[in-house]
Amino acid sequence: MLKLIIFLFLSIFSSSLFAYESEEKLQAMIIGKIVKFITWEDEKSKTFTITILNNPFGTTFDELYQGKQIKDKDVVIKYITKIEQIGKTDILYIANVTSQELETILQKVKNSNILTISDLRGFAEKKGIVQVYFASQKPKLKINLESAKEENMQIKSSLLQIADVVKGL
Amino acid sequence: MYKRKKNILLITPFLISTLCAQVDLDDDLEDILNMESELKADVGSRSGAKNFLDSRSPVDMITHAQIKNSGLTSLTDVLRYFVAGFNAPETSVADGSDHVRAFTLRGMSPDQILVLINGKRLHTSSLLHVNATIGRGSSNVDLDTIAIEAIEKIEILRDGAAAQYGSDAISGVINIILKGIGHDNQVNIQTGIRKKGDGKKVFASTFVSIPLAYDGFVNLTLSAANQEQTQRAGKDPRITPPSVQTHAGIPDSKNVNLVLNAESLQESDITLYSNAIFNYRKSEASAFFRPYNHNVATKLIYPNGFLPLIQADILDYSFVVGVKGKHDTTSWNLSNTYGINQIDYNLQNSMNYGYAAESPTSFHLGQLNFIQNTTNLDLKHSFEQFEFAVGSEYRYENYAIQEGDVSSYTNGISQGFAGYQPKNVVDNSRVNYALYFDTVYSPLSKLSFEAACRYENYSDFGETTNVKLSLDYKMIDTLLLRTSGSTGFRAPALAQSNYSHTSTFGGLLEGTFRPEDDISKALGAEELTPEKSKHFTIGTVFQPTNTTALMIDYFYTLVEDKIMLSNEIGGTTATSQQQAILTSYGVDKARFFSNAVDTKTSGIDLKLTRQFDFENDSKLYSSIWYNYSKNTIIGFNNPSMNRSNSFEQIDRVENGQPQQAFRILNNYENNNMSVTLNLSQYGSYAQVINNESYNFDAKWTTDLDMSYALTKTIKLAIGGLNIFDTYPNKWSEPINNFYGSDGIKPYSRYSPFGYSGAYYYTRATIKF
Repeated sequence: MLKLIIFLFLSIFSSSLFAYESEEKLQAMIIGKIVKFITWEDEKSKTFTITILNNPFGTTFDELYQGKQIKDKDVVIKYITKIEQIGKTDILYIANVTSQELETILQKVKNSNILTISDLRGFAEKKGIVQVYFASQKPKLKINLESAKEENMQIKSSLLQIADVVKGL
Repeated sequence: MYKRKKNILLITPFLISTLCAQVDLDDDLEDILNMESELKADVGSRSGAKNFLDSRSPVDMITHAQIKNSGLTSLTDVLRYFVAGFNAPETSVADGSDHVRAFTLRGMSPDQILVLINGKRLHTSSLLHVNATIGRGSSNVDLDTIAIEAIEKIEILRDGAAAQYGSDAISGVINIILKGIGHDNQVNIQTGIRKKGDGKKVFASTFVSIPLAYDGFVNLTLSAANQEQTQRAGKDPRITPPSVQTHAGIPDSKNVNLVLNAESLQESDITLYSNAIFNYRKSEASAFFRPYNHNVATKLIYPNGFLPLIQADILDYSFVVGVKGKHDTTSWNLSNTYGINQIDYNLQNSMNYGYAAESPTSFHLGQLNFIQNTTNLDLKHSFEQFEFAVGSEYRYENYAIQEGDVSSYTNGISQGFAGYQPKNVVDNSRVNYALYFDTVYSPLSKLSFEAACRYENYSDFGETTNVKLSLDYKMIDTLLLRTSGSTGFRAPALAQSNYSHTSTFGGLLEGTFRPEDDISKALGAEELTPEKSKHFTIGTVFQPTNTTALMIDYFYTLVEDKIMLSNEIGGTTATSQQQAILTSYGVDKARFFSNAVDTKTSGIDLKLTRQFDFENDSKLYSSIWYNYSKNTIIGFNNPSMNRSNSFEQIDRVENGQPQQAFRILNNYENNNMSVTLNLSQYGSYAQVINNESYNFDAKWTTDLDMSYALTKTIKLAIGGLNIFDTYPNKWSEPINNFYGSDGIKPYSRYSPFGYSGAYYYTRATIKF
């Protein structure tokens, strides 16, 4: 039995392998991957801009995307703390806002062809486009297809197959 | 040959690692959606959920996945199998303790563990363990009232936390988190049997989740189990020829559990929430067999003797309603929790000798009742590097005993269990309110301090204020140092202050008396005061990779004025002075509660966890957990208890439970298959009979569960607990008719893994 215990100890320390990731990092990774399933109405700009309102990610976004390309464009990451700072962007990630603020934000970015993403509960049903949530330690997606259509975005069916499609309430 | 085997052992881990693939950002979205996130725990701090490996106090987690792949159907067993240092023996011939299992953490008392459901205090059982079992003199939460299919995860805080949560949080806090959104509806059916052909168990459960707007949900879990008894008693040498009569093993029981968990999110930032737990259990266990010559009256009804059967009808429910919300950076939470536990005792196949041939054969023995209602208001606010939490709590508790049938306590007693008589009837309440604050200050991203303070005022014993200070420092990204120091308390349970169970023989009383009774006071009892504790823990978490964690924590807990139930004082166990007191009060034998002793508990937890991910999409989760806990009584505060007059009670506290425990947990999963292999070591322990201590060896048990998904919705499993049919040692020699290697009870009731042997089962899970 002692040998078995030593064996298991050695097994556990033998190398660096797979990773449990923080919820923030998984969300950041998902945001980078989700774009290939989405077509913006206007994809002519030379950069791909991700705006993060009330950054919950720390330095994760910079570490993952600084100097990288998405859709063959250089990634630009903007961190903002006020709704008024929302400008032209491809993705808007929204964190730590009240329901009232969320309503204001979604109204502000309406018809701007911006992909809105958040992990706020009820985000997709409140007319956000992509909601990330966690159940049993795994990330899951909710997509409000109507909101995406209103923003003139096309979402590939392969994404809709691995996400829950919801309607706005 | 030996060398070759040794080499294989050493290189195998490295071979495993070459088979594994490193996941990086080039993974597809689907791969990322299959990745597992960190495990977050709420318990241990009011500043919000955080990765349990970064906690300032030692926290462990048991996930829903671990539970569902274990084949376990009882929450008590889940904790026993997964937590080193958690002990929950299966007793028999111990009256009420056969029906409500006592459990301990680090060998401390069952009432020194606080249990929370979704962060809210869960009421204890109305049962007070008064027989010679682990946990004698305490009331604990009845964990088997909770359907395990309703559980998302279990958080175990291994630290004193009375300064945060109030009374009872001395050896630790167990926070049970119920399933929220995103879980599949399913039906589970499991049936199994012991290797010896008895102990058949049929278990069925269903979980249904109804989604509500804005990610709200109503989750319902219903489970039912029918457990048949196991029989491991020895032959009764009092009858000719000797034969097995008494029941020793797991009792017959029928169990129905219902759990509701619901959240309704409003368009604003307000969430209404509720959970409810309901349990009805009917359990039957025996007292010792009464041979035909037990009394001259025995043969009048039972020519061949009789086996009294004690039945417990347990009704337990709790109901939480609350509302929470957020305004700017301040969140608030208002809730009310009502809980009740009720035990009705009945006795079948018995008689009262005093009634001779006219005696009834069945009796209602009385009812125990405990009610707890807790109202909480919590506020949290973040400001730059500070997180503040303040709150208040108001709690009402009531404990009541109702008498049994007159024939169960007059003209003698009903054999097997005397009924509660009018002298024992009680209906007492108390209230307490608490004010608390908790502040976290993080001057650096790698350094944080936490300070907590809680003031309580109880209507029965007055005030207490407790504090906790803790610190965590990430020296480097992979190494966390943590330490905490705190004071704590445990309020005397209402049951300890109010319980009495007395019988009259020949005009003399005997039994358990209240501390306030004159006879108790004359023997040295005083009004019960709170147990007071001091805690210190220091430890480290080393995470060389994101899937590897090594936790090492030292702990030290000092408890002053621990409440104990005295020995039975009378006859040979009484001094001449005590005997004179007993005689003057018309009492033959008496026992009572007092703040009798001071205890010291220290030890270490060492835990290593690791996840391997293989190229074929399969995963192996492994963890090894070692616990060493030593309990010592370091002071005596009441003349009723010292090392010479209470050797059995003292030895039970110090040596009655394993001081060492290993858990080696492994789960391998690929797309369709899951294999769980768990090994458990239970350290040695001792039990005293007739003032002599008998030792029992450490033992290993092995559990195996193998499941295969036939389709996306149907999964079948086979498995076994203790598959190699390990039994504890029998007593080392014959002792008396009841205990000993050839006695009616050949095994110690302290055995930490029971004495019913291997259990094999099959299981089907259907998702819908």
